[in-house]
Amino acid sequence: MSLNFTIFAQNSTYDYVQQASLAAMSIRLTNPDSKICLITNDTVPEKYAQLFEHVVPIPFGDKSKNTTWKIENRWKIYHATPFEETAVIDSDMLVLNDLSHWKTALDKHDLYYVNKVQTYRGEWADNTYYRKSFRNHNLPNLYAGFHWFKRCDFSHNFYKWLELVMNNWELFYGQYAGGKYFQKFPSIDVSSAIVCKILQIENVITNDATFPTFTHMKLKSQGWNKLYVDNWQEQVGTYLDNDCNLTIGNFRQQGIFHYTEKSFCNDNIISTYERKLGI
Amino acid sequence: MTKGALLIARNNSQVDYVKQAAFCANRIVQHLDIPVSLITDSAEYAEQFDVFDNVIEIQNQNNYHHKNYNDGLWSRTTLEFKNTSRCDVYELTPYDQTLLMDTDVILGNDHMKHVFAQQNDLLLYKDATELSNWRDLSEFDYISPNSIDFYWATVVYFNKSKITKTFFDLVKHIQENWFHYRNLYQIKNATFRNDFAFSIAVHIMNGYTQNKFVGKMPGTLYYTLDADVCHNINENRFQFLIEKQTSDGYFPAVTNNSTVHIMNKFSLNRVIDES
Repeated sequence: MSLNFTIFAQNSTYDYVQQASLAAMSIRLTNPDSKICLITNDTVPEKYAQLFEHVVPIPFGDKSKNTTWKIENRWKIYHATPFEETAVIDSDMLVLNDLSHWKTALDKHDLYYVNKVQTYRGEWADNTYYRKSFRNHNLPNLYAGFHWFKRCDFSHNFYKWLELVMNNWELFYGQYAGGKYFQKFPSIDVSSAIVCKILQIENVITNDATFPTFTHMKLKSQGWNKLYVDNWQEQVGTYLDNDCNLTIGNFRQQGIFHYTEKSFCNDNIISTYERKLGI
Repeated sequence: MTKGALLIARNNSQVDYVKQAAFCANRIVQHLDIPVSLITDSAEYAEQFDVFDNVIEIQNQNNYHHKNYNDGLWSRTTLEFKNTSRCDVYELTPYDQTLLMDTDVILGNDHMKHVFAQQNDLLLYKDATELSNWRDLSEFDYISPNSIDFYWATVVYFNKSKITKTFFDLVKHIQENWFHYRNLYQIKNATFRNDFAFSIAVHIMNGYTQNKFVGKMPGTLYYTLDADVCHNINENRFQFLIEKQTSDGYFPAVTNNSTVHIMNKFSLNRVIDES
């Protein structure tokens, strides 16, 4: 049984729809039976529109008109996707393998969040540098970059709380993620973690299983002792062969690859996928 | 199924590896109660030591390079380093199950006997414990800063199987194409090193990912660097002088019932002479 995927993309000065289209191409290649939904208000180029079974608008107006990161609408995914159950991935991700075997693990949950991620070497990443508020305020270490839900009362309740937290994020962050490391902007990870803590459902929606997970290419999470660069693409090479097998440095990548840096989604990568898929 | 230990000893102008091998072999017999064979280009000399089950002669090839050998903090010399025979052990071993060891690994317990009662075809140490407790040992985490896991080729268990043959063929291929692989894995030092070749071969056999091709050797392997000095070996109590963090002297350290890889060959040979 294949996973269905939902991707949210809201263009700002950057073209997130293009990222989402690349993500969809990677899913088409490795999980051909999966259905994909794109949630966006932006125009999808004709050649990419065929990748998606569903392209649906962001409902309930635009909460992020005045922001650049466009995170404020993410709680609407639950309400917008047509799927009864779906994996949600960030637009700046590639799916590199058939993930249908994850379905068995995910089926045991109404809602599931990844709570640990990997480096490009396949080691568990130490994300302490980026997650000070999680550590200091004892928040569940959730990553919304890959999460999963079934449409049900449990998930509905979670997303209603997520709506509440994200719409009042200054208040909730002050109470649950405040102090020295108070965050000056909303984040889907912190918001999800706060909801999880309020509802006391950490043991229900995540666990220490080795999968699902994803490779998170945050620069300071890769275990590099000495860094003289500002982005990971200057530290290790990227090699995508004609069959779209991805190697980073000396490591063949597997599973879900969260490239994080926008410049990764370049013409070479896109055209390689397009050639492979005949788009 | 035959089982035994295998050592390689190729003497250079100042280090008598054959003598080390005999000392090492006696400890193997004492602790593991298995026969020990020796691969050497000094077979006639090696035959003088009656500890070896087999002496397997290889030609004295000229395919060696040079490296610095320290004898503690204040003595250094550059000598021939003949480390190119390790990839041939699959063909040369007389045993179905082989424990391959460097001659400077001195057993202090019987933990390694467990290699013969487990299912993995190949075992290596990924981690080893250094005695100074202050040195930056990140070079033993990865073979280069952005690259792959470091594995020690110092002690290797393998059985005769298709997959281990493939592994050793691969090590040989890496050795024969060292310039290419050294560049590919961003290794700064040009000198061929078995630890690196084995690590690269493990990585390739793992499908260029983290995987489980190789199992873990049992017990802890301790090691001292050649800036340290082996002072005394008395039964299973080993005494060392370990370089201070200030590098202006040593502090003493003792191990009991532990297996130690002693990299200062000169001090080890002095201890052997005194024993």
